[in-house]
Amino acid sequence: MNNRLKVLRAERSWSQQDLADRLGVSRQSVNAIETGRYDPSLPLAFTIAEVFGLPIEAIFSRD
Amino acid sequence: MEKATTPAGRSPWFWAGNYLVSSAIIVVLKLTDAITAPIAMILFLGAMGLLIPLVRAGERRNCANPVIVRYNRRFLAAAFGYVLGLGIAITLWNNFELSGPVVFAIALLPTIPTFAMIWAMGRYLVEETDEYLRYRTVRAALMSLGMVLAIGIFWGFLEMFELVPHIWAWWVLPVWAIGLGLAQLWMKVRGE
Repeated sequence: MNNRLKVLRAERSWSQQDLADRLGVSRQSVNAIETGRYDPSLPLAFTIAEVFGLPIEAIFSRD
Repeated sequence: MEKATTPAGRSPWFWAGNYLVSSAIIVVLKLTDAITAPIAMILFLGAMGLLIPLVRAGERRNCANPVIVRYNRRFLAAAFGYVLGLGIAITLWNNFELSGPVVFAIALLPTIPTFAMIWAMGRYLVEETDEYLRYRTVRAALMSLGMVLAIGIFWGFLEMFELVPHIWAWWVLPVWAIGLGLAQLWMKVRGE
């Protein structure tokens, strides 16, 4: 899966740690998702969408 | 990049070095018969005290979450219990003519703390709320399990054909723990 996490984070001037704190996960998790090494579960993907105030499909897309 | 030594305390490497040097000295003293087995055990328990600041330094450096801190506490307590239980069991076995239920009971002394270690690992997986960290741990555990099964089967047949000496079955846990560490290192090297 592709994702726009890095761009969305940059638009808000959030560090990976800032986003991790908002999501309640570790910075490693954000880094792994952002770099495509790990695809989040559906509940975490929904939380990410809520944090950015966007629908899931505006953040994640298929390869 | 964080510095090796933080103002809050010494680096984990400092405590790890102290622990390894202390353990090595105790082993040398025991191998040269400078100390008896019970004294070696007591000294080793003292050396294990260095694991407490080592773990705390590691937690500080990695900003460990409360679940990992809890796991570390449980595992350390079990490790102390294991060394103590093993020491008492070996001392009793070497110094008394034991048989039957008593032998069964002393076999439990080092066994029960290892059950506590396995329980601590299981609780970590249950309590960890970060799905990525849980995924990494489960993956490493399965890789290590594969390694233990492969080595165990291979060794078993080598032993059956009298090519290698017999080893005790309790080795599965330390071999699995080494495999867990190697798997985590391998994932780190691969950037996973």
